[in-house]
Amino acid sequence: MLERLGRIRDAHGAGVALGPLRVALGGMLLWQSLDAAHELTRLGYFGDHFHWPYLPEALVPSHAAYVAVVATRVCLAIMVLVGFACRPALTASGALGLYVLLCDRLQFHHNRYSLALFAVLVGLTPCDVSFRVVDGGGPPLPRTGPLWAVRLAQVQVSIIYLASGGSKLLDPAWRGGAVLADRIARHAHIAVAKGVPAWLVDYLARPASASALSKAAILTELALAFALWSRRMRVAALWWGVWFHLVIQLTTKVEVFSFLTVAMYAVFVTPDERTRQLRFDPTTALGQAIGLASRWLDWFARFDAKPWEPDDIEGAHAFVIVRRDGTRVTGLRAAATLARCVPILFPLWAPLSLVAAFTRKGELSPTRDAASE
Amino acid sequence: MAGVVSHARSAFAIAFIAAQVALVVTAGRRPDGAFGFRMFNESSTIQVSLTREVIAPGGPAGLTRVPVTAGEWHAHDVHGVAHTIAWRDRVRRPELSVFDVEISAAYGANAQVARWTAALDDVASHLDHDAETRRLVLDITVRRNGGEPETITVVRDVRGPTAPAGGS
Repeated sequence: MLERLGRIRDAHGAGVALGPLRVALGGMLLWQSLDAAHELTRLGYFGDHFHWPYLPEALVPSHAAYVAVVATRVCLAIMVLVGFACRPALTASGALGLYVLLCDRLQFHHNRYSLALFAVLVGLTPCDVSFRVVDGGGPPLPRTGPLWAVRLAQVQVSIIYLASGGSKLLDPAWRGGAVLADRIARHAHIAVAKGVPAWLVDYLARPASASALSKAAILTELALAFALWSRRMRVAALWWGVWFHLVIQLTTKVEVFSFLTVAMYAVFVTPDERTRQLRFDPTTALGQAIGLASRWLDWFARFDAKPWEPDDIEGAHAFVIVRRDGTRVTGLRAAATLARCVPILFPLWAPLSLVAAFTRKGELSPTRDAASE
Repeated sequence: MAGVVSHARSAFAIAFIAAQVALVVTAGRRPDGAFGFRMFNESSTIQVSLTREVIAPGGPAGLTRVPVTAGEWHAHDVHGVAHTIAWRDRVRRPELSVFDVEISAAYGANAQVARWTAALDDVASHLDHDAETRRLVLDITVRRNGGEPETITVVRDVRGPTAPAGGS
């Protein structure tokens, strides 16, 4: 057991998938720090009025120091975004966020606390090897790095799901549906304003629906806490989790929590780089679109994408994917593989895979495949 | 050197996880459940009314309650100078300065009752320009998860003009 933990601690892997995560965290940190600056101008310095610190009052910053803290947070968030000294900037940004929360519990929100924690943790990962606008100079960074803090971030994601789902499970009002029924009824106007059909909101607010929904929510959170660790269940868990958080974002006010959690799913991406091949036909519009999409949307560097040489084979495929296990697919199966690997297409992965499962079309024989390439 | 780094990583990871577990397990002891990730723990509302207790017109023997509208009232200081006093002079957060309107109790009713109580403590200790108010009273009506309303009354003595300045 200790030996296994030691291996996890000392593991190295590709950090390329952590670059987009860093950018996402940088965006959220910038949004939060600008919001803090806006609050400073709108409400004034919190320490001049009623506030409620966890820390001793002597450790709460003065007005001038707090202005400096907010300005520093803005600068650090920009450094995180552009990739300039981004790892220390990320950790420092998270630490400052935690400090501010400890100075005034009235400013506490789960999403702010979570963002600060994840910023500290991701700052300890090799998140600086990709998505850098600014090159800090010096020799090129290695493409791999220690992954121990990635594991810690994974643990933190599970702790959040376990704590949230567990506290709901232990609360009879939550288990029974009373909390959700009242919440849906009171937030119905927000959901409808965001495009959720009114009839659906009415239906969900009924006691029986709310009770079933409560149990589903508890089950989802508890299942996600564990399923994300299973190689076999991970993709399905991530897909379910993405939709779970999208629905929460559409129906309630949670600041950046949904975006944060979905972004943190990047720590569950297999730490390798371009282990799948994507070959596209540059002479067809679809092939060109796939090629362009792979260049701009393959944020986790899953594909080694290249055009193939045009040939005279009639009805050749617009694109072919060679998966990790060497199997070659095209058509719907390839589309499902793309959706699995490309973050913004990921919500489509399960339906595409389901439809693809009903047909053998798209599985290429080695002969045909060789001819295509 | 590599061994030291490995040990430092282990120590950090153990301390981090232990702290997180401790914070989650003890979240129930904090009124707002802070650091415990108890998302959407309640669907409760809160409605707050503010009342002042001032010396009754008949003399110093008794106190009479005067309702406060929109968190503002008029009072004289020890020199007899009239002032307009506002709850918002001390409490700037919007969710803690809305009176007589039912609003969502973010993080649960207990969290909001605790925050309003702390806000009342702060206001009561900073009424430097009000020599008339003897006590401030908050009537906090809470409705938990759509259930029946329950009213909690919180009373604080006003410390008066000699109260020290600064945050709570």
